[in-house]
Amino acid sequence: MRRSLVLTGAAVTVLGLLAGCSAGGSGSDSGKTILKVAALEGGYGRDMYTRVIKEYEASHPDIDVQLQISKSIEDEITPNMKAGRYPDVVVLGQGRKAALTETLIKDKALEDLTPVLKEKVPGEDTTVGDKLTEGIVGNLNTDPYRTDQTYLMPMYYAPTGLFHNKGLFEEKGWKVPGTWDEMFALGDTAKKQGIPLFTYPTAGYLDSYFFALLADVGGERFYTDVMTYKKDVWKSANARKALDITTKLLGYAAPATVGYANEQDFTKNQQLVLDNKALFMPNGTWIVGEMADAPRADGFQWGLTPLPAATTGGKRYITTSVESVWVPSAAQQKDAAKEFIAYLYSDKAAKIFAESNAIQPIESIASSLSAENAEFYKVYEDPKVAALVGGFASTAPVEGVDIKATLFDTANSIISGDTTEDKWQSALNEASEKLRQAGS
Amino acid sequence: MTTSAAPPPSPTNGASKSDAAPSAGSSRRGAPARARRRADTRFVLVCLLPALALFAVFMIVPTMNVFRMSLYTWSGFSPDMRFVGLDNFRHLLDDKQFVRAFQNTVALLVVVTVVTMGMGLFLAAIMTRQRLRGRNLYRFVLYIPNVLSVVVIAAIFSAVYDQENGLLNGTLRLLSLDGLQQVWLGNQKVVLYSVAIAMVWQSLGYYMVLYMSSMASIPEELYEASALDGASPARQFFALTLPLIWENLRTTLTFFIMSAVNLSFVLVRAMTGGGPDGSSEVLLSYMYKQAYTNSSYGYGMAIGVVIFAFSFLVSLLVSRATRREPLQF
Repeated sequence: MRRSLVLTGAAVTVLGLLAGCSAGGSGSDSGKTILKVAALEGGYGRDMYTRVIKEYEASHPDIDVQLQISKSIEDEITPNMKAGRYPDVVVLGQGRKAALTETLIKDKALEDLTPVLKEKVPGEDTTVGDKLTEGIVGNLNTDPYRTDQTYLMPMYYAPTGLFHNKGLFEEKGWKVPGTWDEMFALGDTAKKQGIPLFTYPTAGYLDSYFFALLADVGGERFYTDVMTYKKDVWKSANARKALDITTKLLGYAAPATVGYANEQDFTKNQQLVLDNKALFMPNGTWIVGEMADAPRADGFQWGLTPLPAATTGGKRYITTSVESVWVPSAAQQKDAAKEFIAYLYSDKAAKIFAESNAIQPIESIASSLSAENAEFYKVYEDPKVAALVGGFASTAPVEGVDIKATLFDTANSIISGDTTEDKWQSALNEASEKLRQAGS
Repeated sequence: MTTSAAPPPSPTNGASKSDAAPSAGSSRRGAPARARRRADTRFVLVCLLPALALFAVFMIVPTMNVFRMSLYTWSGFSPDMRFVGLDNFRHLLDDKQFVRAFQNTVALLVVVTVVTMGMGLFLAAIMTRQRLRGRNLYRFVLYIPNVLSVVVIAAIFSAVYDQENGLLNGTLRLLSLDGLQQVWLGNQKVVLYSVAIAMVWQSLGYYMVLYMSSMASIPEELYEASALDGASPARQFFALTLPLIWENLRTTLTFFIMSAVNLSFVLVRAMTGGGPDGSSEVLLSYMYKQAYTNSSYGYGMAIGVVIFAFSFLVSLLVSRATRREPLQF
């Protein structure tokens, strides 16, 4: 008798364990369409999403938007995606450690969003495509397969460039350099006063630096060649020139840079600029919020400049970081998802986003910028400065090859003297060639 | 934390002994006894079932999957997985980053194991044999790092290693040893050892407490007798203490090697991210980078297979090399 009780108990335990593994059923009995939105909680916070969704639900009573938002959204949605439960809309850019967006691009698992460009913004007369600023779609960032189809819609954009203390430049009477010669001359002047010219938070932040530099040195054509792994592009004179400039610049780096260039300590490198212990660092507009509570030198004021021109009077590019919104092709509510994305570009939504400093690439945005932001976004007004969007083209994954790591992380070894420019160049060429073969 | 919380596996294999004893000489009572025994076996099996089910679902199946996936090219999401045989392993041989991560892992294993074991034994012997005043406090202080989360440890060592106002460089300056100052997390030749020190600091207390408990169970008479024979404390340690806790030492050694592989990953990830420029990359952090950041899931799993085989092999070798006739007291 007792034994059979134990047996029943054991059976119940096993069943309970197994039942615990299976997920609870989805309860959608209200008759509303459920739209699942997943978003990365970045520097802009989560409040703006809840407000936009509230507005959207008010004008679309038949749709119930379920928002999932987190600082590590990949970790939360990936297990469900592997089990076949996909979110309908995902707001998540590239360049994250988990590389979820990149993986889905490589897998061709994204929905073609070209039709959204022709769709009218809900409640307005213009189409999404007409509302977007020129040049923000149709690049490698939005059309990753180099066709004319847009798979990633540009959500927020921010200029990245060399951040510095404007106050210090005024105080010392220095001019922000316009060419690399002026830059290095300033480096020598500052060195005499004990201030190193350059630092970076971590080597990964050199992405904005390198993309702009390559375009400055060889023009947009050359930039595209590098990004699409043209054969032997890293052996070209332009590539060598870019590496020459970089190696020379790294020679001016603050001695603390490499030791702090890790995820634990990178803010200490950023602090160098606040303390006038380094002049320039590559970064994005989020730095203002990120270091808002940090102590700083008297009269400190954030300034942003594009990279110096490669030749006097040459065109200067400014790498523009663009976060994207996309729809997985396995999503269930694709039509509702597309309409929701179109709504994200409405004036109402844009205003809410802009209040949290999330600036969308739409024509009418200038009027809703805060004073500090307006200052940063002014860099685009200079006729000699052009926006540069994109990054390395997507290929089938190549085992053991990560060209971004080869291009950026090696900077640490250049500063510490553990490798040479020649070795760097040939490693880049090797990685680029492997990716070219995988892409073709 | 995950690794050190589990109790060390039992060194004895007592399961086989227990069912051999009652089976002898049961011919007369025959049937009822056999029936009871069969019922007992069934009962034991049923009790084991939940644990076995969990073990199969969460250990055996995933491990088999790692082996299977290492033969495919797969991004982790797409439905199309391509079978490539042993290609992933062939790539590994040409992958300089992998070789470097392997070397780093081996270096960490050797350095950290030797230092932690050596210091753990030494401290345990001093605390049990020398009746140090305030030894409970020392034990407590040394054990604390073991309950800290890795993120906290990384933050502590970020403060210790800070090149400008860190504890370590500050102390060196104070002692006028400026020449010994280092960029502890930035110098590619030093960074791996900086991680090793953090690993030792984290696990030392745990092993010390383990050894202390086994040393405390050695009868005092043995020490008294050897003292009468004129044995010095050092002689006592090598001739008495060490042989008598040998079985315990073997177990912890195997256990430690496996946990060091895991601990090196979490610490590297929190402290250096594998940098600068891959100089502190270890096998597991490289596997993570390949499987996720580089979307080469199959390749990552091939690295996983290598890690599995490597830790299995090392544990086996260590276990063989340290086999002695067990001593009893």
